Amino acid sequence: MEPLLKIKNLSLYIEKRGKKTKILRNISYNLYPSQTLAVVGESGSGKTLSALSIMNLLPKNAQTEGEILYKGKNLLSFSQEKMRQLRGNKISMVFQEPMTSLNPVLTIGRQISETITTHKKISRKKAIEKSANLLKRVGLSDAERRLNDYPHNFSGGMRQRVMIAISMACLPEIIIADEPTTALDVTVQAQILNLFSKLRKENEMSLILITHNMAIVSQYADFVVVFYGGMIMEKGPCEKIFASPLHPYTKALLDSLPGIGRRKIKLTTIEGMPPNFEEETGGCPFYPRCKFAFEKCAKNLPPEFEVETDRRVRCWLLTAEKCRDVRKSFDNYL
Amino acid sequence: MANFLIKRALMLPLVIIGITFLLFSLTNLLPPEMRASLYAQSQKEMTPETLKEIIRLHKLDAPLIIQYSEWLKNILKGEFGYSQSANMEVTKAIKAYLPATLELTLLSIIPIFFLGTWLGVLSAVKKNSFIDHLTRAGAISSYSLPTFVFGLLLLMIFYGGFGIFSPGRYSIYSDAIIHSGNFRQFTGLLTIDALLNGNFRVFLDVLSHIFLPASVLCLGSVALLIRITRTSMLEELNKDYVRVARAKGLKENYIINFHVKRNALIPVITLVSLQFVRLLGGVVITETVFDYPGIGSWGVKAAQQLDLAGVMGFALMTAILFVLGNTIADILYALVDPRIRYE
Repeated sequence: MEPLLKIKNLSLYIEKRGKKTKILRNISYNLYPSQTLAVVGESGSGKTLSALSIMNLLPKNAQTEGEILYKGKNLLSFSQEKMRQLRGNKISMVFQEPMTSLNPVLTIGRQISETITTHKKISRKKAIEKSANLLKRVGLSDAERRLNDYPHNFSGGMRQRVMIAISMACLPEIIIADEPTTALDVTVQAQILNLFSKLRKENEMSLILITHNMAIVSQYADFVVVFYGGMIMEKGPCEKIFASPLHPYTKALLDSLPGIGRRKIKLTTIEGMPPNFEEETGGCPFYPRCKFAFEKCAKNLPPEFEVETDRRVRCWLLTAEKCRDVRKSFDNYL
Repeated sequence: MANFLIKRALMLPLVIIGITFLLFSLTNLLPPEMRASLYAQSQKEMTPETLKEIIRLHKLDAPLIIQYSEWLKNILKGEFGYSQSANMEVTKAIKAYLPATLELTLLSIIPIFFLGTWLGVLSAVKKNSFIDHLTRAGAISSYSLPTFVFGLLLLMIFYGGFGIFSPGRYSIYSDAIIHSGNFRQFTGLLTIDALLNGNFRVFLDVLSHIFLPASVLCLGSVALLIRITRTSMLEELNKDYVRVARAKGLKENYIINFHVKRNALIPVITLVSLQFVRLLGGVVITETVFDYPGIGSWGVKAAQQLDLAGVMGFALMTAILFVLGNTIADILYALVDPRIRYE
């Protein structure tokens, strides 16, 4: 099957006071129709920036390299206007903060319907009717009346539902959800994610789910991309990654996941801090925190090794020949 | 909203009692003979004998609180006393001077609002561009230029150089028409009255007289408004909902005009309403430079001539205007920002 979205060697630089810092380094992944792809990683690993590059909503001081192919066309070469016509229409995005994502002085109805009237040739009245329908579908009761309410009349969970309704308004092919439940409490989290998953199935959309919550990933994702220090460390189908994580970082992420019936009582944490983008060591960015690191990791950046089709890991441990011992200890650890 | 308005209406007398009591206690530092003018109704009553009579009649030797209630009674009857500086009763003086000031204020506050917000928004949207730098430099330099310097400069160029935009409120020609009896004064605002009377020549004449003082007032306040609007816009442009609006694929112009501006103009409303009240309270320097018969000049003259009735009347009027101005600002808030509900 042809991928809907193909990100090829995407690099991103941020320029601050004349100094260029490489934030994303050669990111590549594919998103297939009707797929849920999870992008996981710590805060500051570049997850959000990679999503914003797809939307072309990057800050002004950002520069990109590489290709983002949507149905074979490179989005990075699109004009602002062409990109605008795509945003909210074919590719839409739900952000992390439902409390501040809605405009406080405009009614909910207006904020949903304006997306529709911008992209579709449809009367304002029809758009309002559609908005009421959308509100019903995201599970808000009394939708017609609520259209005239303002954001401050809604709770955080309800605002996120409204945001989902907005992102769904034009039935896009891709929805990017950037930590959509981080700001919400746990019971609401499940409701919102189930809603996403239900709507995605009903409308055959693809979902890019950005999160740092591995529990969410295991439950909803088909494919997982693990970010660290602006790089993809490991990517592969969800079941395989959870069954046998090949990168020490992925492994560590899974270890820090609390679970019922797990033998280990104390949760493991990953020691150390996320890398600083400004100092480029030339080695693996995870090296300082990696339990299995050896000399080579400090000096040389590992390439992406293809383990199976669809499964790539950026780690020297996979070159078992030269470092059998380390490899062994890692296997034992698993 | 209705509740809020009723509450505000009920508050108004309380505020006014507070202000007047404060003012009255201050005037009480003066000897009774001087305070007697508060009760005189004409120049004829300003003789020592009648003043003594007034002191006796209005208990000006009595304790403060009794005097105050006496004075308040008079005020409620509409008797504000006789203003020596204006040579007429205080109520008549206000009636004579306030419309001129109101006209000047309206004709400056409207351009102030539109020019200020337009340039402020433009400056914020095109941040760090040539137009932004130009606007900001212009704003700062106009703000630091003293009113009278700018006023005299304009007067020199236009009136002195080209003989247009003469000082005063109207020419002798219009004066004759306005006081001819055929000219009906509906509002006291001569531009509007001239149009209502269908006299276009008087309209143009009044407008040409008001143009320079209005420009001077405009320049002083527009600079402040540009700065506030720009800051407020920049703050709003950084908010999450703007990024969401872009992610929705809305057009940039639409985002600025319908999303950002509405939020950014909330603090601007306060500033404009305060400026409006400040201008209404009289702009003495501008009035003096352009020989404009506004209320500010009268207030200053009254103070200089120890015209107590005039000063009290002026202070009372300013206080009422201030309270009204703030109430209007609060109502505008509620209209713009749905989060503000006055219950």
